[in-house]
Amino acid sequence: MKRPKAIVLRGTATNCDIETANSFRYTGAEPELVHINQLLAGEKKVLDYDLMAFPGGFSYGDDISAGKIYAVKMAKLAKDFERFIKDRRPVIGICNGFQILVKTGFLPENRGNAQVATLYTNDCGHFLAKWIKLKVNPKSPCIFTKGLPAEIELPMAHGEGKFIMEDKARLAALVKSELHALTYVENPNGSMLDIAGITNAAGTCFGLMPHPERNFFPWQNPDRPAARAAEAAGFQFFRNAVEYVR
Amino acid sequence: MKDKLANFNSLPKKELEALDRAAGWSLNLTELSEVQRQFRKMGRQPARGELETIAQTWSEHCKHKTFSGPVIFRAGAKVKRYKNLFKETIVKATRSLNRKWCLSVFTDNAGIVEFGKTGKWGLAFKAETHNHPCAVEPYGGAETGVGGVIRDILGVGLGAKPVLNTDTFCFGRLDTKKRLPKNALAPGRVMRGVVEGVRDYGNRIGIPTAAGGLYFDDGYLLNPLVYVGCAGLIPVDKIGKRVIPGDLIVSIGGRTGRDGIHGATFSSANIDEETTASAVQIGHAVNEKKALDVLMRARDLGLYNAVTDCGAGGFSSAIGELGSETGARVRLDKALLKDTRIEPWEIWVSESQERMILSVPKAKLRRLAAILDAENCEYCVLGEFPGDGRLLVTHGEERIVDLPMAFLHGGVPNFEKPAEARKVKISCKPPAAPKGGYAKVLADLLAHPNVCSRHSVITQYDHEVQGGTVGKPLQGRYGDGPGDAAVIWPQAATLDLKDFSGFAVAHGFAPAVGRIDPYQMALHSIDEAVRNLLCSGADISRTAILDNFCAASPRDPRVMGDLVLAAEGCYDGAMAYGAPFISGKDSFYNQSRDADGKEYPIPISLLISATAPVEDVRRSVTMNFKEPGNPVFLAGVSLRGMGGAVYGEIIACANNAVAPLDMKAAVKLYSAIARAMRSGCVVAAHDVSQGGLAVTLAEMAFSGGLGAELDLTGASREDGLTPVELLFGESPARLVLEVDKSRETEFLRLVKGLPVAEIGRVNEEPELSVHDGGEALFSSDIGALKASWKKELI
Amino acid sequence: MIIEIRTKEKYAKNEEAGFIGRMAHAGLKVKAARLSRLYRVEAPFSRAEFGRLGADLLTDKITEHYSLSQWRPGLKKAWRVEVWLKDSVTDVVGESVKGAIADMLGKEPETVRFGHAYYVACESEVKLRHAVARTLVNETVNKFRIGKI
Repeated sequence: MKRPKAIVLRGTATNCDIETANSFRYTGAEPELVHINQLLAGEKKVLDYDLMAFPGGFSYGDDISAGKIYAVKMAKLAKDFERFIKDRRPVIGICNGFQILVKTGFLPENRGNAQVATLYTNDCGHFLAKWIKLKVNPKSPCIFTKGLPAEIELPMAHGEGKFIMEDKARLAALVKSELHALTYVENPNGSMLDIAGITNAAGTCFGLMPHPERNFFPWQNPDRPAARAAEAAGFQFFRNAVEYVR
Repeated sequence: MKDKLANFNSLPKKELEALDRAAGWSLNLTELSEVQRQFRKMGRQPARGELETIAQTWSEHCKHKTFSGPVIFRAGAKVKRYKNLFKETIVKATRSLNRKWCLSVFTDNAGIVEFGKTGKWGLAFKAETHNHPCAVEPYGGAETGVGGVIRDILGVGLGAKPVLNTDTFCFGRLDTKKRLPKNALAPGRVMRGVVEGVRDYGNRIGIPTAAGGLYFDDGYLLNPLVYVGCAGLIPVDKIGKRVIPGDLIVSIGGRTGRDGIHGATFSSANIDEETTASAVQIGHAVNEKKALDVLMRARDLGLYNAVTDCGAGGFSSAIGELGSETGARVRLDKALLKDTRIEPWEIWVSESQERMILSVPKAKLRRLAAILDAENCEYCVLGEFPGDGRLLVTHGEERIVDLPMAFLHGGVPNFEKPAEARKVKISCKPPAAPKGGYAKVLADLLAHPNVCSRHSVITQYDHEVQGGTVGKPLQGRYGDGPGDAAVIWPQAATLDLKDFSGFAVAHGFAPAVGRIDPYQMALHSIDEAVRNLLCSGADISRTAILDNFCAASPRDPRVMGDLVLAAEGCYDGAMAYGAPFISGKDSFYNQSRDADGKEYPIPISLLISATAPVEDVRRSVTMNFKEPGNPVFLAGVSLRGMGGAVYGEIIACANNAVAPLDMKAAVKLYSAIARAMRSGCVVAAHDVSQGGLAVTLAEMAFSGGLGAELDLTGASREDGLTPVELLFGESPARLVLEVDKSRETEFLRLVKGLPVAEIGRVNEEPELSVHDGGEALFSSDIGALKASWKKELI
Repeated sequence: MIIEIRTKEKYAKNEEAGFIGRMAHAGLKVKAARLSRLYRVEAPFSRAEFGRLGADLLTDKITEHYSLSQWRPGLKKAWRVEVWLKDSVTDVVGESVKGAIADMLGKEPETVRFGHAYYVACESEVKLRHAVARTLVNETVNKFRIGKI
C-alpha cells in the first residue's frame, strides 16, 4: 500500500516533533522532519507532501506569545500553505501547532487568513499538564476525529490554551457549522464554549490543544486498566488522516 | 590588586590570603603556597589568567577535595584513616561489584549502563546540585541548574539524548516560625522561584520532568537544596571519545559574557552578604535546545571526535579537560561575546550558560557548520588541540595562560581532615497512644507537607513530552495518585516502536534519619530507592545508583563524621543490594549565619537516585488499588522505633530510635517479590515510607477509588511493637501489594517462607478500615482521607 | 523606543487578580492594579516601523493593545513600578524578539530588552516598595523604579 508522505514541521524548540513523526510512521505514513529554515531556503517544498503536522513544543521559546514567532516566519511561505490547505491535504496542529495555526490565521478559517481568534494564558495563570476528558462532536466535518467515541481522554500540557474569539457572530457561525470538533468536559483553561479543538469547513485542517500523540498507545494511560485497551484514542487521529489520503 | 599580582611569588601569607579574598578564588593557604612554589620553580610571576585557571581547576566544585581527600575518623576509642574517602567507599563498591552492564563509571560527565535488549544502547544518568545560586536567585538558579545537568548528558561520550529530568528540592517549612536574616529569601518565595525555573527550562527544552521529590525542614531555611538530574540514551558505539591532535576547538551554543564569572569558586564559599550579582544567571533553554538538536545530528554523522560541556570553570575547565593530554592552543579573541566589556581572563573562566565544546577534525568543520547554521546555533572556532601538552591561551598579542597541562591536573595539595561521630542521645521508650485516635493522626499525617500531594508542582511540569512517560508521577484511576518511580519508554530516542524496553528511576532520601544515624540514613535511602523501583516492576537485580551528598562546612569534624558514616553506609548498602554507584557529586559549605549571627548548618543530606531496566513497559505496575475482592499483602517486618518518622513532627514522641535495615533479609524478600511481579500476579505495589503503613494504605485506596477491610494480625513484626509504630513507624524494607485474586495461590507459592502476610481485601465500599487482632485501629472514608492529602503546596 | 503592551481590560482580570494576590501575600493591600509588558527596542527605525512592530509582532490583536508612549490607566493614588533585568543579565526574551524583528523588518535592532510595568493603587509608596522587594523583584538580577502617576 502507498505510504503517504507527511511533513512534520519544526523550528527551534519544537519539542514534540519526533513522537509526532513516530505516530505517523506507525499508522502507515512516511514522516519527514523539516525545519522551517529549510522551507525558507527553498531546500524543501510543502507541496511535495500529502500530510502536514505542526507538532507541540515551545517554538522559539514561545516568547512574545505562544507560536507567534513561528507564525511570523511562515508569513513568507503563506501561499504554499494556503494551497496545501485548499487542496484538502490534511493538516494537524497540536498544542503549539494549534497556536501557530491560529496566529497565522489559518484557523478559524476566514477569507484573507486574518487572525480572528487566539489562545490566551490559561485562567490559572500558568502551564498545566494533566489528563482530561474531551467530548467529540459527532457532527463535525473533522476527518481526524471520525469514528471516535463520544468521550475520550487525552493529556494536555500548555500555558496558553484559552480559546478566545472576539466576534460573537463568527463564533456562532463556527459552532453552527460544527467546526468545534473537540470540547472539554471540564474546562481546564477558561476557553470560550469549552473549545479544545477546531477544524476548517472541509474538515482537513485541524488544531487542538491536547496531545493525541501522547495517548497513542494504551500503555501511555496513567490508569492501568485503561492501559489494557486494544487501541488508544490518539491512535485514531493519525490513522484517520493517513487513510484519508490513501 | 595589580601590584600584588605582579609580586605574587614573594607575597607573605597574610597578603596572599587578602589577595585570595579580593579576587574571590577560595584557595586556602596551602594551595596558594603551592602555586607560589611552582611559579618560583618556573622562574616567573603568574599571570592573572593563570591564577584564575588554577583557582577554577583546583576548586572544591571541580576537584572535590573534601570527599576525595584523606580523613581521620574517630568514634569513641575507634580510629580509622582514609587516604581517599570517596575511593575507599563509593568507588570501592562499584569496583568490587564489577558489573559487566556498567559501561562507563566515574570517568565521564555521567555514568552509563546498558539499556534494552538490542545491545545498541546505553543509558546515561547524572544528578547534581545547584544550591547556592538557588538561595540567591531561585528562578535563575534552578534554570541554570537544570540546564547544567542536561549539558552533562549532552557531553557524556559523544553525546546522549536526554529523555528524563529529575528534581528533588529541600526548603525550609513554609510556615516557619524562625526569624530570617536580612539577606535570606522566605522559603515560599524560594520554592516558587525554583519550581518556576525548573518548569520554564524543562518545558521549553522538551525533556519530561517526571521524577523527584519535595522535602520541607527548617534545616534548609537558609540553604535550600536543589538536586537536578538527567537521564539520556546513547548508542554504545558513541561512548568513547578521543581528541586527536590537530582537531579544532569549537564552542557552540550560548555566547560568553561577564554574567558567569566565579561560579565554581562561589560554590566553595559560605553564602554571606557580599554575594555578588555576577554569580547568578538566567537560563536560556532555547539556546540549549539548539545545541541539543545540532549535537544529535552531528554525532550520528561522526562530525566530531570529542565533546564536553562548559560547566564550572567555563572554557578553562572544558578545554583543559579535553586537552589534558594533547594540550590546547586557544585564541580568546575568536570567542563570541555577549558584550565587549570583558577582560580576556574573564572570557577564559566565565561560566556563561548553554555552551558546549567540540573537538572537530578540520576536514569536517564545513559539514558541522552547515548543521549549526541550519539550526540557527551560534558557534566559534577558538583554536586547536596541538598535541604538545602545552596550554597556551592568548588574546591578540597578550598571553593569558602559558602552562604545561600537567601542572593543572597534577597534585592538588590536600591535607587530612579530622572527623568524629556525632553524639546523639537515643531513647527507646515505647510511644504512647495518641490522644485524638489513629484516624485523626492519619488525616494529619496525610496533610503534612512531607506527605501531602505534590500535584500543584508536578502539573506545572510537562512530564509527558517525548511520549515515553509510561510510569507517571501522577497515576491511578483519577490520574492523581503518587507514583513510586518514573518508568520511561524512550521512543523519541530509539525511534523503535516495537521494542518495549524501558527504564525506571526512583529516589531515596532520609535526612531526618541522618540527624540521628547517618550510617542508617544511607542504608534507608538506598533501600527506599530500590523498593520504589521494585514497586514499578523494574528488574532490581540490575539497579545502578547515584550518590549526591550535601553537607555543611567540612571544617566541622562532626560534619565530616556524618559524611564518613554515610559513605560507609553507601558502601555496605551498595554491596548488599548489588547496586553499583555509577556517578555522584557532592556539595559542601551549605551553611549560613542566621538572624542572630549564629552558624546555621543543614543536616547531612544524601540523595540516592536509582535506575533499573523495565523489560516491558506495558507491564509496569502502578500504586493504586485496582479491583474489589483482590487480596492485599504486607511484605516485610515492621520494626520498633520512631526515629526520623514524620509522626514525630505532629505529635511529641520521646522515641527517636532508628529501626536498623536488615539488608540480607530485604534482598531475599525483594528478589521473591520481583519474581511475583514478573509473573504478573501483582496488580498494585506501593512502598511504606514517609508517614508509615497507614499512609501507604490510604494512598493506594483513594488513588484507586476503592476501600479495603484490613486486619494486620498476621503482619510480621518485632516483639513489643506498639500500634503507633505499626501504623506510623517508618522502619525500612516494607511494601504493600495487591494481588490478582485469581492468582493468589501462585503468588503465595512464590513468596513462601518469607514475611509476606495477607492483611485483607480491596473493597468497593469507599472505607479504609484497619484492625489489629481484636483491636479496631481506625476506619476512615477514603474521600475524606484524600481531601486531607490533596493540598495545594504552591 | 519603549513599546508597551497591555491586555484589554475585559481579559485582564486574571493577571490583575494574580498580581493583587501576590502583593497581599507580601503584606500589601492593593486596591486596583493594571499590568503591561515593555519592550525597549534600540534601533534607528521610523515611528511607522515601531508601530508595525507593536501592531503585528508584539501584540495579540484579539486580547492586547500597544502604545508607543507610556500608558495612563485611570487609577487614583497610584504608582507605576517598572521592572527590568539588569543590563549585565542575559535577557532571553529580548534576544528572541530581536531575531523576530529581523525576520519581520529585514533589519536587526542593536538591543531589545524585555520588562514589566505595574500600575498599582495602594496606600503608600513605602509599603509598595517593601512589597515589590519581597515578591516582585530580586535585586541580584533586577532593577526597578517606582514613580507616582
